[in-house]
Amino acid sequence: MNDSRDIAIEINELSLSIGQRRLLDGVTLHAEAGERIAIVGPNGAGKTTLLRLLLGLIPSERGRIKLGGSALTSLSRREVARLIGYVPQQLADDIPFTVIEFIVMSRYAHAQSGGIIPRDREGEKIARQSTERVGIRHLENQTMATLSGGERQKVNIAAALAQQTPILVLDEPSAHLDPKQRESIQRLLSEIGRKSNTTVLTVTHDLNWAAMDFDRIIGMAHGRVLADDTPSRVVTPENLLAIFDANWTIQAHPQSGCPMVLPTHHTPAR
Amino acid sequence: MVSSPRKFILFILLPLAVMTLMVMPWIGQHLPGWDVLFRPGAEDLDAIIFWKIRVPRVLLAMFAGMGLSLGGVVFQAIFRNPLATPFTLGVAGGASLGVTLAIFLGLNLTILGVSGVSLAALVGAMGSITIVYGIARATSNVSPNTMLLGGVAISFFFSSLILLLQYLGDMSDSFRIIHWLMGDLSRASAEAIFQILPFIVSGILITGFLYRELNLLSIHDDLAGSCGLHVEKMRIILFLAVSLMIAGIVTVCGPIGFVGIMAPHICRLIVGANHRNLIPAAILFGGVFLTLCDTLARTIATSAEVPVGIITAILGGPFFLWLLFKKARSHG
Repeated sequence: MNDSRDIAIEINELSLSIGQRRLLDGVTLHAEAGERIAIVGPNGAGKTTLLRLLLGLIPSERGRIKLGGSALTSLSRREVARLIGYVPQQLADDIPFTVIEFIVMSRYAHAQSGGIIPRDREGEKIARQSTERVGIRHLENQTMATLSGGERQKVNIAAALAQQTPILVLDEPSAHLDPKQRESIQRLLSEIGRKSNTTVLTVTHDLNWAAMDFDRIIGMAHGRVLADDTPSRVVTPENLLAIFDANWTIQAHPQSGCPMVLPTHHTPAR
Repeated sequence: MVSSPRKFILFILLPLAVMTLMVMPWIGQHLPGWDVLFRPGAEDLDAIIFWKIRVPRVLLAMFAGMGLSLGGVVFQAIFRNPLATPFTLGVAGGASLGVTLAIFLGLNLTILGVSGVSLAALVGAMGSITIVYGIARATSNVSPNTMLLGGVAISFFFSSLILLLQYLGDMSDSFRIIHWLMGDLSRASAEAIFQILPFIVSGILITGFLYRELNLLSIHDDLAGSCGLHVEKMRIILFLAVSLMIAGIVTVCGPIGFVGIMAPHICRLIVGANHRNLIPAAILFGGVFLTLCDTLARTIATSAEVPVGIITAILGGPFFLWLLFKKARSHG
């Protein structure tokens, strides 16, 4: 294990129940600074709950979380927001703000409260740098409601980048997108992570993206971590059976050699 | 939406509000001579009509309109519901029940110059705010929907009690109750202005400082939380601050409906949804709108004044339908 200064996220024995239902059961995981981790698992595995706990949006029942060496419980909401940028699943499609207004808002944790109705010029400057980085400069003055799903997700990513955090947490960033837009978002996230040494933790249902583009994959089911290793060690028929309860075919990618999951062929009933 | 909301606010809405304040005291059945401007303390008919009746009334309408409109803006943001107004959450219902009880029980006391009816309205409004706040605290996550539904349930409950008291009361009590429930600015006086001013000023200052928080709350709770906002705490602070402001207004003016829903929606169409622009725009527009409605209310009929609540509701009803149709069309 490296020096503790290099650990971006440290989660130990985290548990949470709501009523009789156990959402998380003794989850332990660590992420080093700059590491790219994908969390996969079936619906209801506890992936989104894990992210919400990590962001401090809900309190845990047991266990502890450390961000950059500090206990999450000792940090204020603003301090957490200066450590983690969050890209949620698709937001409502009728958000009435312009792209630039929306991105400036995400810098709330950095904004100074200076008198009544002040203008956040510093926030606007950094928001413009984020739109440039994500390639949506031309959309700055458009209303969010007029954008396509892929464009809106790029705005969400730009907003998280504008928070200037060492950690980026994403909840199914490419869900609900067509294949071309999905590829564009995934490529963008790959470039961002690698260029800026940002620690990236993403929940995804896209196993092939997880295998191709991440340093580690964490497989979850029923609130527990069932696998946590490099993609080639996690994406195996045995692990996928344990995590998803499914028999899928795995082949090596013809160019990169990384494991690819193929759906099982079944003959339609006549 | 206009291309420069700030310019629209500074060069259109602000001068419009100033002009409304300057012109409306002159409008009415009796036209005072212009020299009345230099005789504010005089006891002649012109001076009394101008300085003691019309100026306080125009100022009261302006301030009440500002507060009601601001209340709508804040409640629509914190509950992410375009139909939410402070009245939806039972503030007006509580005040109305307080007044109905005071009239029914014949309470005629006056404390520190404030009438028993006003005090009863304030106590009723505070009671309903406390109940909704209690509901919010009792549910662990202060969910906007729980608060809204709780408020609506309380409003209906209070309305039924008001109807019961009216049914049990005599004709003259019923008339007084109905008149109060219509919302009316005829109780305007210098004292009334000083009574509501602290509520309005503190409401404007608090929401003006919290415009970033309102922007975040109006989008998504988890996103707002991940940006560093303490969502539940902020929702409660804004709910209490705005409810208190509305309680102060309702105490003096009665429940004047529809300003809190019309003014914010019209302003959103003109200056956009960013609360940095929406708050000043809605404050000015709400003030102008209610002042114009009240001028119409006191001049439209020669025999008697029409309560301003009737004028705002007559304009508000069709607007409400237009809003619903527009929303239905834009969602295909």
